[in-house]
Amino acid sequence: MIQIEKLSRHFGAIKAVDEISFTVDSGSITGFLGPNGAGKTTTMRMMVGYLQPSAGSIKMDGESIFSDPILTSTKIGYLPEHNPLYDEMITLEILRYIGDLRKMGKAKYKERLEFVVESCGLKAVLTQKVATLSKGYRQRVGLAMAILHDPEVLILDEPTSGLDPNQILEIRELIRRLGKEKTVLLSSHIMQEVQALCDRVLIINSGKIIVDDEIANLGRYLADYQSLNLELEGENVDLQGIFDDVPGLRIEENIQEGNHYKIRLSIPAEKDLKHEIARRVTAKGWLIVSLYAHSKSLEEIFHNLTKSGGQADDGASFKDPKPELPLEASHEVPPSDAGETEEAILGQTSRQDTDKKGESQ
Amino acid sequence: MNATWTIAKKEYQLAMRSVTSYIVYVLFLVISGATFATTVFKINLAEMRNLFGAIHMLYVFFIPAITMGSIAKERSSGTIELISTLPIRLAQVVWGKIIAAFLQILTLMSFSVLYLAIIMVLGQNVDYGAIITGILGLLLASLAYISIGVFASSLPSNQILAFVIALAISGFFYAIRFVLVVMPLSVVRYIQFFSFEYHLSGFMRGVLDLRDMMFFVAVCMIFAFLAEFNLQSKNMMQER
Repeated sequence: MIQIEKLSRHFGAIKAVDEISFTVDSGSITGFLGPNGAGKTTTMRMMVGYLQPSAGSIKMDGESIFSDPILTSTKIGYLPEHNPLYDEMITLEILRYIGDLRKMGKAKYKERLEFVVESCGLKAVLTQKVATLSKGYRQRVGLAMAILHDPEVLILDEPTSGLDPNQILEIRELIRRLGKEKTVLLSSHIMQEVQALCDRVLIINSGKIIVDDEIANLGRYLADYQSLNLELEGENVDLQGIFDDVPGLRIEENIQEGNHYKIRLSIPAEKDLKHEIARRVTAKGWLIVSLYAHSKSLEEIFHNLTKSGGQADDGASFKDPKPELPLEASHEVPPSDAGETEEAILGQTSRQDTDKKGESQ
Repeated sequence: MNATWTIAKKEYQLAMRSVTSYIVYVLFLVISGATFATTVFKINLAEMRNLFGAIHMLYVFFIPAITMGSIAKERSSGTIELISTLPIRLAQVVWGKIIAAFLQILTLMSFSVLYLAIIMVLGQNVDYGAIITGILGLLLASLAYISIGVFASSLPSNQILAFVIALAISGFFYAIRFVLVVMPLSVVRYIQFFSFEYHLSGFMRGVLDLRDMMFFVAVCMIFAFLAEFNLQSKNMMQER
């Protein structure tokens, strides 16, 4: 278990991490979410003892991690953000090197090597130079190095970045397996990942934690409005006036490609207006190609909380008081595994959204 | 195995694999070989003092080239984050790098056995004692230069900059003797203490003086400590 209390880190005048407190429980996977530059990496670097905090404490099993850094580092497995590796070395050599520096005995090293090679799928590249590996394989080598000594605590900074969809699923499966006995903290800016993997989510923005909650409770952070994507086919589609008597409905966007229309609507979150909309559209004789809602994903929550940075700064943090947002969310939040099925539909759009968000901040 | 040795072994193996190191080695051997050949075959002297002088000068340029990447490269590639979070001490990293560079110098210096053989064949009344102590002195001096180089490499993340810094510090210790000439006699005594050449001269004459040995060992220790301190102050591996 890791306890963090009032942890701060300043770089000159910049407060990268500002008095954050949270706990990571053993045998659970905690997701650390936030836009780029929110302080995820800084926090993780402090947790592994690479950066010294400006203030606050980090305790592992009740003991400050700085009281015996050597002991701490034997307990932690860390995958740094850009996964730095010695390019000139061969995969097997680099694992051997880490094993030697961690003073693993021959027998233990052999046993663990078999495990990491198997679980990270490194068999094909064991004798290959690290510089020639693809990004996916590099990431796996980094992960293998992090779990080689069978650590109690795993801190993974964007473990699946740069992997292809199949590899992502494999690595997620591995992390899920590890999370059953170990304490895992992983950072990500991919919502589906956190939804699919984690028991708990921490959302950090501008150095402050704005959400610290179980995945299942996240529905309450939904915004008042959700957006609905509607695709239509038909002649002379004119939406003017059709939805006038539906309270709260707004047409946000209407893109026409020949007979094909892509429309984005915003509707009040607490109402399910899909039937109503579908009925009105079909009554006009237009064909509905697709109609789906975005809002139930963590994506939307993340977007709402981090985009309007004012919320956190006002002191009206979402963390403590129960927010006055729709609470009948229990059925709206997909179970943690649903993220993957949903990804087939949402994956493309939402990932693009994330990228855009990253750039704009 | 001790972490220092693990690091030293890995660094040495990687150096022995890199093309850049071979360019450095070949240049070093060509220049020192040319000096040796001139002394023996042109001037007809069966001695190695000229060669040792040349090697000492080469140290000033070549050791910074060997050590410039030692820590700077770890920093620019980010692997410093990796070793910082391993259960090893900072001093072990620094000494691992120093030993690795020393092993490279040892490899280069082992070629002087060849020169020794030539002298044994061609020379008469050769002062073998002076040659052995000369080699010993140069090895000790190389330790000091290496330590300076590793310290310089711990300062910036840019290797070229690390080279320039190491060259400047090494050059200072090397070139003091040229400044001594213009110094008033009263201060020469104190300033010449810092001259590497001054401490090496005993070794070249075949005299082993504990004070000279201690000087090089002390310089090596001081710069190794400075490198460690510098890494600590850069907020890495705090308190390790």
